[in-house]
Amino acid sequence: MYNRNFKIVALAVVSVFFLQTFAQNNWNVPADKKAKNSYIKFDAASAGQGEAIYNKNCASCHGNPGKGNVQKTLNPIPPDLSSIGTQSLTDGELFYILSSGRGLMPNFKSMLSDEERWKVISYIRSFNKGYVQTLSKFDPNKAKLIKVSTNYDRKTAQVKVDVKVNEKSGIVALKNAEIGLFVTRYFGKLQIQKNQLTNADGQTVFDFPKDIPGDKTGTVELVVKLNDENYGEIESSTKLQLGVPTDKPALTDKRAIWGTLAKAPFWIILLYLAGVFAFGAVLLYLIFALNKIRKSGSNKPQ
Amino acid sequence: MTKQSKTDKITSDLLRPIRLNWSFKIWFGFLGLALLVCLGAYGLQLKNGLSVTGLGDYVSWGMYLSNFVFFVATSLIGMLISAVLGLSGQKWAAPLARIAEIIALAFAAVAGLVIVMDMGRPERLLNVFIHGRVQSPILWDVTVITIYMVISALFLYIPLIPDLKICSEKLDVPPFLKKIYKILSLNWEGTIEQKKMIQQSTRVIAIFIIPVALAIHTVTSWLFANTMRVGWDSTIFGPYFVTGAFVSGTAAVIIAMYVFRKNYKLEEYITEKLFDMIGKLMVLVSLIYLYFNLNEYMVPGFKMKEMEAILIRDLFSGNHAILFWSVQLLGLVVPIILLLFKKMRKPLPMLVIGFMVLLGAWFKRYIIVVPTMEHPFLPIQNVPQSWKIYTPTLIEILVTLAPMIMVLMIITILAKVIPIVSVSETLEHLESVEQAEGELKK
Ligand code: HEC
Repeated sequence: MYNRNFKIVALAVVSVFFLQTFAQNNWNVPADKKAKNSYIKFDAASAGQGEAIYNKNCASCHGNPGKGNVQKTLNPIPPDLSSIGTQSLTDGELFYILSSGRGLMPNFKSMLSDEERWKVISYIRSFNKGYVQTLSKFDPNKAKLIKVSTNYDRKTAQVKVDVKVNEKSGIVALKNAEIGLFVTRYFGKLQIQKNQLTNADGQTVFDFPKDIPGDKTGTVELVVKLNDENYGEIESSTKLQLGVPTDKPALTDKRAIWGTLAKAPFWIILLYLAGVFAFGAVLLYLIFALNKIRKSGSNKPQ
Repeated sequence: MTKQSKTDKITSDLLRPIRLNWSFKIWFGFLGLALLVCLGAYGLQLKNGLSVTGLGDYVSWGMYLSNFVFFVATSLIGMLISAVLGLSGQKWAAPLARIAEIIALAFAAVAGLVIVMDMGRPERLLNVFIHGRVQSPILWDVTVITIYMVISALFLYIPLIPDLKICSEKLDVPPFLKKIYKILSLNWEGTIEQKKMIQQSTRVIAIFIIPVALAIHTVTSWLFANTMRVGWDSTIFGPYFVTGAFVSGTAAVIIAMYVFRKNYKLEEYITEKLFDMIGKLMVLVSLIYLYFNLNEYMVPGFKMKEMEAILIRDLFSGNHAILFWSVQLLGLVVPIILLLFKKMRKPLPMLVIGFMVLLGAWFKRYIIVVPTMEHPFLPIQNVPQSWKIYTPTLIEILVTLAPMIMVLMIITILAKVIPIVSVSETLEHLESVEQAEGELKK
């Protein structure tokens, strides 16, 4: 009797525990994303590359898988990614979580490429002995068939992106590809408007702001990021004269406080050397004086 | 007493402490053991990195940097007592010159080490020399502290030369030690020329050490004031630090005076009168420092600029209020008031006051360094509470104690091998007094 009660209680405790883990794992991933598979084979090589990416981007929170050194001070506590809970997620779900993030879990969509994200997942999977991969039929080489052309229409102030695919059957327009338009800046890429999908002609149009500073001639570098279910992701960049011409000398051109030693302001070099030389002079004098004391003592007949 | 017997008494009194006795061995053994424990803690820090400390992204300068500022500050006393008072003809301070120089040298020598202890990868110190930029206050600091150390060593050594000769003749030590004293005394015979050279070079150092000493602590203050952070972005940080340095240095000298007087039985040389005078000096430097404190907190406290106000509230009535007010009151205001009374300017009360001031001086550096680091301009977001508020770890405290122990060791050793009150100067003083008396009789 006692034994049976115990079992019931234990069962209840265990199921509550499971419910809770399921609740936590409830990432509400859309069905099509959940079914997504990697085109990269999860083997020792990809897991090895994934490990490097993991250590740089994930270990500070998630610790080393299986080592129990997750960052416990965070709320929610980041799960150990080798745990049953995480491993029971599909590859597609993991990819989705990495791409979209939630709360303290950052999204890595702009920091890691599709390929890099799959490699991290390969590393995570390497802790699951029973895991068998279903490879996606997607062929990353197909990305090479894509041709992106970017043009600027000065009258409407619009950038037109046109995507064509060089299939065996001939050149066709690529429909419904996700396009992001960026401008290269000092410290990264500035996105222009939101991502858009190409239309039936494989085209999409972005309104381009008129006040983006360019170089002396107004040239700026435009970057188009394309992501397509069947053809994968590619990035193409073009230089176009659609910015405001700006001629500012680089901040490191002239001698300045923030420059390297070679670009130090003269007055500071002078002051510093003056101090050091003054010290050198005093030191020389003192050595001379000490020497004189020693000599004048020994010269005197005892 | 005849003149000869007086001379003999002075010489033997001042040289008496230079011998190995049990109390020295026990004290030094204790220091050695304590240092070993602290170095063990440092070993852990070397092995595991700064994560064993309470330091982090926000408070990256905690106890270690406070300690560094304290060390540089205290080392300034050599310049105040030997150079400023000496040059301005304050003869009463002469017997303290050597104690002050020993303290200055010990603290300056260890200050550099304190910085290295703040580094997770100490071997990267070399980068300062390989990639140093003259625009960086760090490079100025390294330069100027090295210069101060060399100059302080010479400031101790050159006036010591006649004493070294006396040591080599009068001390009852093994022959090889006698030989070392002799070599170091540079054939001293007291010729007129030798005396002139010593006088001249001492004067040159006394003058040169004033700008150097001002520079070391001003540059140290610039490590803070040359940033734009609340609480540090202040134009009076240089003099504020320098005057604060005189306070902590004077306190260190008072404590050393008491200890040497008691242990070395030097009551006739480190007199009650001397305590009285140094007590008055303490009041003077503390008042000046109080004035700078008033400026430093009154001006931003009146304006209460947005970010500054957060820090000021934190200090006046927030997290750091207890420490802040204890430091200001117990470490500065109360000592000033106490020392105004003649009764308090006696050795024992002064020892207690000296400790109060010195402790206050240490925590004052903490109050300057840590609260500012806890209040950066960019809001601290999404981090655990322990990253926002700095709490030193045990390992960190032990590592902080290590340099203090080293300073005590250096002072102990120096005070064991050289007379801590100049023999030759005391004799000269006796001579001039007798000459004056003789002239009076005529
Ligand atoms: C800033 C800390 C942080 C970083 C960096 C981080 N994560 Fe997370 N991660 C979290 C947190 C917190 C959660 C839990 C989020 C939740 O449940 O809302 C989480 C959840 C996850 C999950 C879901 C696990 C589960 O079982 O529900 C996965 C998978 C994951 N992270 C992978 C990664 C990978 C891979 C990286 C590196 C590319 C990474 N994380 C980087 C904090 C982080």
